[in-house]
Amino acid sequence: MGLPLFSAHGDPGPSFFHYAEAAGLTTPVFTGTAESPHATTVIAVRYNAGVVMVGDRQATGNYIASRDVRKIEAADRYTALAISGTAARGIEFIKMAQLSFEHYEKMTDSALSLEGKANYLSPIIQRNNLSSPLFVMPLLAGWDPSHQVGRIFEYDGAGGCYERFDFSTIGSGSPFADSALRLGYRSDIDREGALELGALALYEAGDNDPSTGGPDFVRNIYPMMVTITEAGFQELGTDEVAARFRAINDRRTQSGGVAGGTLR
Amino acid sequence: MSNYFYVSPEQLIKDRAEFAQKGIARGRSMVGAIYDVGVLLVAENPSASLNKISEIYDRIAFAGAGRYNEFDRLREAGIRWADGTGFTYSREDVDARALANYYAQHLGDMFTEGQKPLEVEILVAQLGSKIRPTKLYRVAYEGTISDEPLFAVLGGDAETIRARFAAHEEQIHPLKETLKNAVDALAGPERTIAVADLEVGILEDRGTRRSFRRLNDDEVSELLS
Repeated sequence: MGLPLFSAHGDPGPSFFHYAEAAGLTTPVFTGTAESPHATTVIAVRYNAGVVMVGDRQATGNYIASRDVRKIEAADRYTALAISGTAARGIEFIKMAQLSFEHYEKMTDSALSLEGKANYLSPIIQRNNLSSPLFVMPLLAGWDPSHQVGRIFEYDGAGGCYERFDFSTIGSGSPFADSALRLGYRSDIDREGALELGALALYEAGDNDPSTGGPDFVRNIYPMMVTITEAGFQELGTDEVAARFRAINDRRTQSGGVAGGTLR
Repeated sequence: MSNYFYVSPEQLIKDRAEFAQKGIARGRSMVGAIYDVGVLLVAENPSASLNKISEIYDRIAFAGAGRYNEFDRLREAGIRWADGTGFTYSREDVDARALANYYAQHLGDMFTEGQKPLEVEILVAQLGSKIRPTKLYRVAYEGTISDEPLFAVLGGDAETIRARFAAHEEQIHPLKETLKNAVDALAGPERTIAVADLEVGILEDRGTRRSFRRLNDDEVSELLS
């Protein structure tokens, strides 16, 4: 690869994706008929000082391919990006997003706004999903330093970007997680409430969706729990996450596998 | 019949070199120096937004002297090259030497084949790691690349500044002393440079992947006091 110099009219500007396309670094577009389920559950819950994200760890094909996949990654200090869908495309997508945000910052000496980051991803999703059966569906959550709030952006299959002011879910376990969130969400929810509700919603998804991995007490593998606040992207330690899921599991054991008439 | 005048290759090179040198001499100078735990880049730059110093990659920084539009395009190409190489291979495969060589090739090509030579000098600085050394690569307008052991000076009046700086920098110092010596060398005996007219960037490990950081006016004042 030589020095990538462009003339003033052909210059891709600070967009890494457009440069990568021009340089032939991106995956070529193709059409086929492969079916790819987006077996996953990732949840984002907005609370008064940020966003909580919870994601399962299971990679599912025709069988369980991996039990400790990370589906939530820090795209930069203040932005978390989660993926569902084809693993290969999802990983490439996260890498592209991470690199793009940093690339923009280095090229222009200023960081993209959170909304700018969310919008930037739209055409990348559209390009992938409308031209290939290898579907990717991301979920973006972050701390917006210019407005001092946590924000969540979800996407539709064609790359449409929508801001959510309460919560959002992606993946095959969504219907179950969504139901729990709809019943438990309050507009004045705090960090503890959001973590508790997020964990419960993921537990529900893991309990009902065969492609979502719930807490694995045998292997000591638990869903990922993350907060994105003024302090940036922070992942909760295994012990804390284990304790939360163990508590939910104990309650369920006592009530014989049902929530027991309350959201718990 | 058109008239072609014979110009000897020696004369042609001389003219082009003179042209480039004049252009570079019009801009202000900058110093890059290795200090005990990092690399310092300091430029005299009255503009707070048109930067001469920039981050290229996790452990690589760029500095340019001469014509802003020309070196800024090279800076952008450097960031693209680094991000593209890291994306294709791995982050640890991005090497300052390779980038400095590409700059040298491009400047060399422009010097001999371009409409006019580029009126720039480039410094590519690398903070050392387990697999790579701390390095300063200086690339001149005609494509000459040099590997500077302790420090490098770019821009007009480089020789005088170099001599002033060399008097204090026979060995590696901490940041505070290195910055002070660099600013004194840039200013000379008869002049002081206001902190607002200095652009300062460092490459230093601080427990994160990216090691480049700009120093703001307060930090620079503090270090110079």
